[in-house]
Amino acid sequence: MANVVIMPKQGQSVESCIISEFKVKVGDTVKVGDILFGYETDKATFEEESKVEGTVLAIFWADGDEIPVLQNVMVIGNPGESFEEFRPKAEKGTPSETSGHPRPDKREGPAAEGSGRGRSEAEAVSEGVPFAAVENAGAPVSPRARFMALQKGVNTAQVAGSGPGGRIIARDVEAAALAQGHLTGLAKARMAEGGVVSPGAGSGLAGSVRGADLKVWKPSHTEGLPGEGTEYEVVKMSNMRKLIAKSMYNSLQNSAQLTHMLGADATRVQALRKKAKKALEEGRIDVNITINDFVCFAVIKALKQFPNLNSHCLGDAMRLFKAVNLGLAVDTERGLMVPAVPHACELDIIGLAKALKKVAEDSKKGSVNPDLLSPEAASFTVSNLGGFGVEWFTPIINVPQSAILGVGTIVPRPKLVEGKYEFVPYMGLSLTYDHRAIDGGEATRFLKKVAEEIENLEVEL
Amino acid sequence: MPKSLFIDPNEVLRPQEHEIQFPKIPVMEYSKSVKDELAAGNFTKEDLKHIYRDMFVIREFETMLNLVKTTGGYNGVAYNNPGPAHLSAGQEAAAVGMAYTLDTNDFIFGSHRSHGEILAKGLRSIEILPEAELKKVMEDFWGGATVAVAGKGFQGSTKELGIRFLLYGAMAEIFARTTGFNKGLGGSMHTFFTPFGIYPNNAIVGGSGAIAVGAALYKKVNRKKGIVVANLGDGAMARGPVLEGMTFASMDQFKTLWEGDMKGGLPVLINVMDNQYAMGGQTRGETMGYTFPARLGAGFNPEAWHAERVDGYNPLAVIDAFRRKKALLEKKEGPCLLDVVTYRYSGHSPSDQSSYRTKEEMEAWQAEDCILAFGRRLMEAGVATQADLDAIQAYVKDVIFEMYKLAIDETVSPRMDLVKDNELLGDMMFSNGSVDSLGDAKPEVNHPLEENPRVKQIAGKCRFYKDENGNAVSKMKMYNIKDGLFEAIVDRFYKDSSLVAYGEENREWGGAFAVYRGLTEALPYHRLFNSPIAEAAIIGTAIGYAMCGGRVIPEIMYCDFLGCCGDEIFNQLPKWQAMSGNILKMPVVVRVSVGSKYGAQHSQDWTSLCTHIPGLKVVFPVTPYDAKGLMNSALQGTDPVIFFESQRIYDKGEEFHEGGVPEGYYEIPLGEPDVKRAGKDVTFLTIGATLYRALQAADELKEKFGLEAEVIDARTLVPFNYEKVVESVKKTGRIIIAGDASARGSYLNDLAANITDLCFDYLDAAPVVLGSRNWITPSHELESAFFPQPGWFLDAIHEKMMPLPGYVPVSNQTCAQQILRSKKGV
Repeated sequence: MANVVIMPKQGQSVESCIISEFKVKVGDTVKVGDILFGYETDKATFEEESKVEGTVLAIFWADGDEIPVLQNVMVIGNPGESFEEFRPKAEKGTPSETSGHPRPDKREGPAAEGSGRGRSEAEAVSEGVPFAAVENAGAPVSPRARFMALQKGVNTAQVAGSGPGGRIIARDVEAAALAQGHLTGLAKARMAEGGVVSPGAGSGLAGSVRGADLKVWKPSHTEGLPGEGTEYEVVKMSNMRKLIAKSMYNSLQNSAQLTHMLGADATRVQALRKKAKKALEEGRIDVNITINDFVCFAVIKALKQFPNLNSHCLGDAMRLFKAVNLGLAVDTERGLMVPAVPHACELDIIGLAKALKKVAEDSKKGSVNPDLLSPEAASFTVSNLGGFGVEWFTPIINVPQSAILGVGTIVPRPKLVEGKYEFVPYMGLSLTYDHRAIDGGEATRFLKKVAEEIENLEVEL
Repeated sequence: MPKSLFIDPNEVLRPQEHEIQFPKIPVMEYSKSVKDELAAGNFTKEDLKHIYRDMFVIREFETMLNLVKTTGGYNGVAYNNPGPAHLSAGQEAAAVGMAYTLDTNDFIFGSHRSHGEILAKGLRSIEILPEAELKKVMEDFWGGATVAVAGKGFQGSTKELGIRFLLYGAMAEIFARTTGFNKGLGGSMHTFFTPFGIYPNNAIVGGSGAIAVGAALYKKVNRKKGIVVANLGDGAMARGPVLEGMTFASMDQFKTLWEGDMKGGLPVLINVMDNQYAMGGQTRGETMGYTFPARLGAGFNPEAWHAERVDGYNPLAVIDAFRRKKALLEKKEGPCLLDVVTYRYSGHSPSDQSSYRTKEEMEAWQAEDCILAFGRRLMEAGVATQADLDAIQAYVKDVIFEMYKLAIDETVSPRMDLVKDNELLGDMMFSNGSVDSLGDAKPEVNHPLEENPRVKQIAGKCRFYKDENGNAVSKMKMYNIKDGLFEAIVDRFYKDSSLVAYGEENREWGGAFAVYRGLTEALPYHRLFNSPIAEAAIIGTAIGYAMCGGRVIPEIMYCDFLGCCGDEIFNQLPKWQAMSGNILKMPVVVRVSVGSKYGAQHSQDWTSLCTHIPGLKVVFPVTPYDAKGLMNSALQGTDPVIFFESQRIYDKGEEFHEGGVPEGYYEIPLGEPDVKRAGKDVTFLTIGATLYRALQAADELKEKFGLEAEVIDARTLVPFNYEKVVESVKKTGRIIIAGDASARGSYLNDLAANITDLCFDYLDAAPVVLGSRNWITPSHELESAFFPQPGWFLDAIHEKMMPLPGYVPVSNQTCAQQILRSKKGV
């Protein structure tokens, strides 16, 4: 009997995954454990291993396709067995609706090659027409395309026309709709107003893009650029890079950020660090507690006294967290990741150090639970660039969070101690906060509190 | 070209007679006095007084109209009549004399100047009809609405009521009232009243020339009583349709080939009201060369049409001539021609100041005035006193004034309110009848249908283009479009005794394209015959035939010849149903074959010209199934249908209808386009044989670009149901409308405009029209540059709808080229 391979559900919040690459093609024989395809969520990459032996009978999708989780991806079985019954049906609300049917794998068989038979019109002729890549306001739009754009919530100003004289025609809107995913009614209305762009998949049901998911749109102009020149080469962004780009851009466009900087005397934490190192060497503790761990511990303490900072800003409402879910910015080979440590406030310093270590390592390995990578998972984020010698910087808020603390390196600074200037170690603290949520006074008081906590930190070791 | 007529070279090359002998054509021979006539018992005194009365009715009627036109009222009662009034004062004796011998079975047809003729014929019918019959005619007409006005409060005799009815009905018609004889839709130049044998007058000079001949054909073929008189002017004798109609009526075959009681001439009399003027041109001495119109008879047949020139200023001379001619016609020795001398007092119309004639000339004729002169003769013969004549005049004036007041009274004589009920006239354009047979006799055929050689041959054919094993059927074995047309037509010949078909080479040859092969064996001459090469007569006679109640299939061999019968196709055929107030039906199916390969004058698709004229149904099937089903519908109906066929595809088999063409009778309603192939990416809507090129284009589009075209065959152009096309365009968003008519001004553009209206929000590109180039049709070898080709469809998609990857166009379908060509007028 033919076995169907579905797109696994990686975590509760994941609605769809992108196929990074199929490792097998139709007709290949596979053994148990063979890699069938790689796929990625917002911030993590996975590989799907075959759980059965057999021949690949059908692949319903192509590289780069975004597939709802639990959707049928491919069929493995004995040659000659039927597989059509597994072909995903165009459901209302799934991205495949816009093309009329899921894209068949172009490598599926000879019939799918060359002649273009069976391909939808948009696919047949609009390859290489990227979505949202051009500034196209004022281009002619066919009445059908205009009508279709209204129905599908496509902003024609973001669409490149492939019709005569650059006219935006139906196939262009179809392709754009496919790229922007299924929009909720509110999202459509916002799109129609213009100035926003769909992230492609959203936080609604089955990956629907909700109004809140929409990002401010500003046209980029890569389309007009010549390809590889003598002076430079043009390299396409990875999906990961594009996601980061979008989320950073969205953060700066959709909130009112500013940064306060303040130094904290690091004498205390340096002493604690020394103490912890010794304890580790002596085997009294089983984890290497870093300066950053102590800073995070202090931040958590401060946050407990400033609930407005431990929050999400929702535009017209605030989500105030009872616990501190601490986000940690981690630099990985694939790019920046911000995993969260839920209920970090309930941990002692050792527990916290361990938890932070684990999410950082998991992120680097790509095996972190995707749920923890969601910007909604953390209530406050700490980003530490001290290890690289950065003194001060302006971190970008991981929206919808209300603030982020940037931790800089420790430098000796003169300090008046008992009438005499002495050099003491100082740590740069950069607090970026969303002025929509928090006023400067409160932010300043909070930052001062963080410094105080750092300077007076008490931990049992 | 019947084999029974041997063209003997011995006789042709070495004839016995060495000159053409013309019979004598009498001129003004009548010389009897009133007393002579009374002595011969030809008239009673009452008859003669009625003749006087009828002439005076005409005079006063025309005087009334002239006063209304020139002074804005009559007897002090103001009225404005903006419509035409071509008056016949001066011609009363000719009209009354013409009508005197005729009864209601005798039909008259007229011209723009026929008020006098209809009044004369009406008055005579009232005189001779039994009272009960007359009463019934009046009560049945418009449900009694007309007589209700004319006879309100009237206590006199039925005959007198009849006169009121006639005068009121004619006036109300001229003044565009719903109580008029044609609901006010005919007007002055088209007033008629069929229950009195008064058939349409005609605003086109000579228009009745061929139509009246067709009416005579109807009487002959359907064995109906009576003769047909075409009242034409001396100017009309210059018109092609008159001369063609006379040619048709002169055909030898009536006497040489038609058999049994059908043998003999047509009962038609061309009656020339020779009033000396054609508009302002003088026919004698200026614009014609015949001296007397009677001379024309000599050119048409050895009997010179029994032509005679008579004194139209003496009603008794005209009556005398009509008695003799009617007798000839009843003996099947027609046709006949009378040249009735008269004189038109008024100008062509009231706006004509008669600048082309002298006061002296007019006074000289008025001195001879036919009414004055006849009154004098009556008094001389002791038939009437001046007081009698005065009393007659007073009576006439009273009745006309009374009817005038009723006819201009909005409350009793309303007009149609086309603003309030603006579909009213639209709903009158077609009769949309469904009638198996218009004849009341048993259809005359030569043998049972199953014995027909063509029927037997078709029985052995495959009715689908592939046999039951899916193999292609050979041309010889394949049931084709010709077979489909034949089956529908032969079926109707066996159902409807009134059906006749004719045209150039319709009989032994089986039509130039063999559609009628087998009909020759099935039908006697009088139901299927060859006509002269006279398209105006072919269509004109068909109109007359249908007007009288028969069904007819005239054939125009090449579409390009439609111009030869332009007036008949554009002015007569489409107009009479509505113009008669829906009294007349027009069951004429004109078969028109669209050519190719034969160059500029034999390869044109003129469907668009026909669609432009309101009142015609226009059909163009291109598959055997559609050809049979649409021909069945056309023949079942009661409307004029221009039925186009394409010579490119007469031998096409049925490629679309599952199970092939049904053997039995079925109808395809006119107006329903048909989806020949389903598709989702673009719609092709085609007219005519272009369908097959569109299908080729659809194949190429699918093969090379994976795009699926939905191909719709219009089948009918008028009427046309857009619903299927709209549905398709909503799906595909794109449409190409293609046909072989030259693109400029074609119906293709009409379709495109309407589709744009109906589907605007669904269109991904403006509808593209692919018609033929605006050139002469070049020779066959060059035709592919002229007619829409499969490649043009892809070019149009690529240039105007959605560029096709890697596609290289084969023709120039760009907008820039469109402008350039238009600038050059090509």
